[in-house]
Parts: sequence; structure tokens; C-alpha cells
Amino acid sequence: MTSTLVWWAIAVYVVIALFIAYLSRKGKQNNMESYFLGDRKLGGFVSALSYSATTYSAFMLVGLAGLTYNGGVGALGFELIYLMGVSLVAFFGPRFWVAGKKYGYVTPSEMLGDRYDDKKVAVTVAISNCLFLIPYSAVQLSGVGYLLQGVTDNAIPYTTGVLIAAILALVFSYIAGIRSVAWTDSLQSLFMIVSSTAVVIVLINGLGGFSGFFERIETSQPELLTVPGNGFFSFLTFLGLTVPWFFFSISNPQVSQRLYMPASLKSLKTMLMGFLVFGFIYTIVAVIWGFSASIMFPGLEKADLATPLVLSSDLVPPLLGVIVMVGIMAAAVSTIDSILLTLSSLFAKDVYGNIKNNATDRMQLRIGKIVIPIIAVLAYLFAEMELNLIAVLSVASSAGLIVVVPAIVGTFYWKRGTSAGVLSSVIAAGLVVILLEFFQLKPLGLASGLWGLFISTFLFIGISLVTHAPEDKANEFLTDIKEALKTAK
Amino acid sequence: MKTNEWKYALLILAVIMLAYILPYTIFTDTAKWYGSFLLWSILALLTIVINYFLTRDWGK
Repeated sequence: MTSTLVWWAIAVYVVIALFIAYLSRKGKQNNMESYFLGDRKLGGFVSALSYSATTYSAFMLVGLAGLTYNGGVGALGFELIYLMGVSLVAFFGPRFWVAGKKYGYVTPSEMLGDRYDDKKVAVTVAISNCLFLIPYSAVQLSGVGYLLQGVTDNAIPYTTGVLIAAILALVFSYIAGIRSVAWTDSLQSLFMIVSSTAVVIVLINGLGGFSGFFERIETSQPELLTVPGNGFFSFLTFLGLTVPWFFFSISNPQVSQRLYMPASLKSLKTMLMGFLVFGFIYTIVAVIWGFSASIMFPGLEKADLATPLVLSSDLVPPLLGVIVMVGIMAAAVSTIDSILLTLSSLFAKDVYGNIKNNATDRMQLRIGKIVIPIIAVLAYLFAEMELNLIAVLSVASSAGLIVVVPAIVGTFYWKRGTSAGVLSSVIAAGLVVILLEFFQLKPLGLASGLWGLFISTFLFIGISLVTHAPEDKANEFLTDIKEALKTAK
Repeated sequence: MKTNEWKYALLILAVIMLAYILPYTIFTDTAKWYGSFLLWSILALLTIVINYFLTRDWGK
């Protein structure tokens, strides 16, 4: 792929996306709810596309395709079990949504702090989210760096790619807060799915049509069509991968915060159903992509090379190849900008808002806007340094965020939950996850995410039972939610 | 909002259990497209259908 073609494609993408971001400016956005939640007035279609773009990062066409290349069909099972887990939105979505409307919550951690009647809960959950998600964003940035470097044969250096992605994410989130993020996300998600589906259709056709495609795998690498297959996806590995991701939709604040934004329950429904259909198609596309690579380029040492190789292969016309490359970049940027925005709202609302006395809404918004570029610069620096610890924290992100799940479930389903239970479960289980990931330990063959979930559940229940629950608050909260759900539209 | 959420929750749980169990047992030697590949795809579609019915009355 020539670097001129790549530069042109990036330029066209940037101009269109900036134009969309500019158009999205509506209203004054002079308060937290407006800037970070779009005044809780997002339509169903935009919500669905934006949710999809935020969830699916560069991981899909690089990481998941690579996982398919290495381990076969188990990668499909892994990603589809995640998708099934998004059913949690059908249960938690309306509850988050009515709670947000009723009490004016801007962040999920703010809700936890209020429900468990302890500001320390909000501060702790917000900080632990930042700890795992900033490195995760950094790794997304490096993904773009490697991709551009790979497809242009080093003509666009790693640093340039990282810088482009960081600036784009910053600009998209800065122009109009969640509005510009949601609208550029929508454009980017359509771009991601249309371009990648087109390539996969080209690939299947080029490799002998649907039956010919699978026949080639069945004869040359049949182990790719079963689990454990070549041994990559042993059952315990599969379990360790899938369980943290299963809870992604409620454990990751950049997506759970989305549950506050739809204009109505009907919009929330459109968001959920739209996302499920999008996710199904995108998953199949990414897995077939990985299978194509294993047919065309068997025996690669690094599976991450599979995607750049497929993109620059003879089967894919160069123009289509470069369009998909921009699609992958868009996938990364649309994930990073949402994380930037969510983390800055967590910092402004839950950390600053709770530590500083009498912090008004306007002051919180100002702090939030100052923090957005700071987080972007941090992510950029982490991506540049390529530190081992950053990679560890990023891999640990799904496992590290899972430790909040018991507290979130307890918010809506268990009156006896206490702030001491939440604090101990989040802090202790979070530390265990980091240690296990850092030292690459798997006690009893179980991955860090499973330990995180066991320990946090055990501590949340155990400590809650021996401490005093905020009974009045819990009763009031749960009664309000129950009543609001009856009449919600 | 309907109140029979538990029924749907159990149904989804059953589908998810199948998604863990079947590929590692009866489909573990079926190296064909109609093995685990098709099974996981069908189970995911089934989950989408269940979600459709679960959320059908939202906003009404």
C-alpha cells in the first residue's frame, strides 16, 4: 500500500468526521448532564451505532482475527458469548436509566456512591476505572501506530500513527462532548461494518465461495473448526477469557454510562437490539477474516501480522484495502474518544466533586474539560513508552473492571449490600487481579478475571453481612426504581 | 415493563450454558462448518430473538 494513498484516505476520513462533529454542536452544553450525557436525549439509532463503535475497537479486526488465526473457531465462541452477555442490558439497562433520570446521576460510580451512601465508594470505583482504562486506551493508540506502520512498510512511522489517533480522539470528544462523540461514532461504525463486510465478501469469493472456503479449512487445518482444537482454547482458557467479557456491558463505565443517555425506553430498546445485530455481523466478519488469513498465510509466527497481510494481499483491491485500514483506525479512535469522555466525567464528578467541598456543576464541567486533554496526553505517553506494566494493565482491564460487578448487581438486587463490602471487594480483588497479571500467575489453572470475580463476590457478600447496611437509603432507592419502572416509557 | 423477567433470564442462561457445554462435548470432533461454528452462530441469534421478546413492550 503506498503511503500517498494512505494519507489521502486518512485526510478524507478526518475531513468528513470533523464536519459531522461540527454539525453535532447543538445547545449550550454548559452543564455536566448536557456535555457528558447529551441531556439524556439521544435517539435510538445514534445510540445503537455509537454503542457499537465504542464497544468494538481495533481489537476486532486485528486481535480477534489473530485469535481466530491462532486458535480457530473458539474465537467465535468467545466473542459471541460476550455478545450474549450484552443481554444484561435488557435487565440492568432500564434500571440504570430510571435511576439516572430520577436522581440525576451522570456516572455509574456516582450512582454506586449514592446507593451505598458513601462518597468513598464513588471515589474508589472511579479511580479503579481510570487505573485500568487509561492503559487500555494507550494500547488502542499503539494499535493504530502499528497498523499504519505495517500497511505502509514503515513509511508512516509508529509515532505518527499514535499521534494522529490521539489528536483525533481528543478533537472528537472536545468539540461537543458526547454529542460529537456519538455522531462521529455513528459515522465510524457504519464505515467499520460496511468496509469490513465488503472485504470479507471479496475474500470468500476469492477463496472459492462459502463451501469452497470452508472445504479448504476442513482439509488443510481441520483443528481450526473445533475446540479445544489445536489446544489453544482449552476449556479453562476459554472460561477465563469469556467470563470477564460477559460482564463488559455493566462493568465498563464507557458503555454502562450509555445507559443513562437514551431519550426514552424505546430508544434504549433500539440501542440494545441495534447493537446486538451490529455485533453479530461484525463478529462473524472478524472471524472469517482470521480464517481467510489462515488459508492464505499459514504458519505466521506473529498472528497480529495476519490483518496487515490480508489487507495488502492480491485478493483485496488496494483502494478497498486502504478503506478498511481507515475503518480499523476509526474503530480505535471511536473507542478511545468515548473512554476519554467517560473518564473525565468520572474524575470531575466523583473524584473532584467529592473531594472538593461545594464543587458546583459548572466547576465540575470546567475540571472535566481540563482533564480530557490530560488523559489523552497520558494515554499518548504510555503508548510511546511501550511499558510492560501498561500492557499488563491493559490486558487486565476486563479482569480488573469485573471486580465492580458484585457491587453493581447489589445496587439493584440486594438491600444488604454495604459500602464496606463494596470498598473491600473493589480494592482487594482489584489488587489481586493486578498481581496475578503482573506475575503471570494462574492459581488452580484459573485466569485472573475468574479470581477477581470470585474474590470480589465473596468479599462483597461476606463484609456486607457483618457491617451495617444503609437501610433507609436502600429501601428508598429500590422502591423508587420499582415504581419508576412501572410507569417508564 | 413486564414482570416475568426471571423466565427470560433463565432462558438466556440455558442458551449460554449450551454455548459452553456443546462445543466442548458433542461437537468437539466435528471439524465442519456445521459444527461449533454454526452452533455458536445459532445460539447467538437465539439470544437476539429472546432479547427482542424481552424488550418488546418497552416504551409502550
